[in-house]
Amino acid sequence: MSHLYDALRAMRTTLVTAFRKPTTVEFPAVIRPRGERYRVSFALPDDEHGELACIGCIACERICPSQVIKMRSTGKIESPVTGKKRQYVDEFVLDLSACIGCELCIQVCNSDAIRMTREPEEPSYSREGLVLDLVRLRANARDKTLSWGRGTELLERQEPPKAEKGGGRGGRPAAGRPDDSNKEAPAKAAVAPPAPAPAAAPAAVAEVK
Amino acid sequence: MNALLHGAVYGAVIVTVLLTMVALAIWGERKLAGRMQSRLGPTLVGPVGLLQPIADVLKLLQKEDIVPLGADRWLFGAAPVLAVLFSLGAAAVVPFSPTSIAADLDVGVLYVLAIGGLTVIPTFVAGWASNNKFALLGGMRAIAQSVSYGVPLVLATMVPVILAGTMSVSGIVGWQAAHHWLVVWPFFLGLPAFFVFFLALLAESNRIPFDIPEAESELVAGVTTEYSGAKFTLFYLGEYLHTLVGSAVAAALFFGGWDGPFAPGLHWMVAKTLVLFVSVYWVRWSLLRFRSDQLMELCWKRLTPLGVGLLLAAAAWVELGPGGAR
Repeated sequence: MSHLYDALRAMRTTLVTAFRKPTTVEFPAVIRPRGERYRVSFALPDDEHGELACIGCIACERICPSQVIKMRSTGKIESPVTGKKRQYVDEFVLDLSACIGCELCIQVCNSDAIRMTREPEEPSYSREGLVLDLVRLRANARDKTLSWGRGTELLERQEPPKAEKGGGRGGRPAAGRPDDSNKEAPAKAAVAPPAPAPAAAPAAVAEVK
Repeated sequence: MNALLHGAVYGAVIVTVLLTMVALAIWGERKLAGRMQSRLGPTLVGPVGLLQPIADVLKLLQKEDIVPLGADRWLFGAAPVLAVLFSLGAAAVVPFSPTSIAADLDVGVLYVLAIGGLTVIPTFVAGWASNNKFALLGGMRAIAQSVSYGVPLVLATMVPVILAGTMSVSGIVGWQAAHHWLVVWPFFLGLPAFFVFFLALLAESNRIPFDIPEAESELVAGVTTEYSGAKFTLFYLGEYLHTLVGSAVAAALFFGGWDGPFAPGLHWMVAKTLVLFVSVYWVRWSLLRFRSDQLMELCWKRLTPLGVGLLLAAAAWVELGPGGAR
């Protein structure tokens, strides 16, 4: 009898669900709101002078764990806009089919020249369709919303909070996250007792931040 | 000659209507299953996905027709055709209205049971001819299941026969129209008999929770493992037809067939058939599959004694009680 009861309970569940609003949304027509930090594809934006910001320094090519970035650039030439000498990138290829989305390329870029976009690429029937070249990357920068992360901004966040004037030794290399320096600060204070007031300052500043 | 012509015309109409209903039923089932799982079901082909069955059939017909090496070619080809034929054949004696019935046999109930029981043969033939161990296992299971569940099926069917005093399906419907629907009065006989009949019907047509002949998780696709393209389509069609005709028979035997107020008989019959048909799929998308031993236990320890009890009670009700044909 208990089996019959279980069966009837299962049938009640399906019946109730059948009259509820379906969870599914029809994707291409309806797109659910994406997370604030959602980011998928890449873009090569222009700098403030309207030139391509990328200088072809291959920092991103070298750090890419799955080695999906390949670029080629000429030597330094005079910029037609500003008149200063700078380097330009001639070819830039990013293979999205193997990209793991680690965002390391954005983090190492000193000129904020590669950014991630908040809108995905169109689906493709071939692997070639997933390869982003310079044209598509520049078009992405024009047409799509860029995510919040920029190389220089991320770099600033990684630096430990600077001590205020005369604050101990300072000038530590920019390694470790702000959290780390937060923990280290009291230890540092213990090591250097002669100057308690300035040494305590970094910790206080970190907490306020 | 007149009877032959009548049978041919009505038969053609009923077959056409049934096949159309199957096409719509496949769409309906997928929609229903979707909603039961909080999905949408087919939406893209045609308005609300209505043309999905046509797209499905076109897709299936394009597929390569593969006959496995070492298969019995003749039997392999014959099995799907027989499956559809036997499933359709039972519809011949089902009265869709007082007049629309292809062949009003005196022994209609016997005919339905016989033809319905035959459907296991194409299933086993398919399993045997495929030269595939999974298909053969599925066929063996189908035989075991069908032979077992034939017993409660017949016992449950005998209850309306005894109460109405006739073996003609239209006669049983007519008796119910003149007295009561069998699930209404005497409900203590009609309801349990319908319950046994419904479960046995699920088992006979290999529907969940009794679909062990094609148990995907154990037997790949059971008897249909080696089938593709048009032949698979026929099996698929036969399966749905069997359920649909079975629902129609249940509606006629227990729910008064075409009897009902306000609307013409045909409407009532179709409505009742569809309600039963939908509940078959409601069960399908709610329950899990039985194990073989659980299946046999349910049949021989529960349904068969219940069926025998109902048979005796029906006989006593007619002979000693107030009810019956007289």
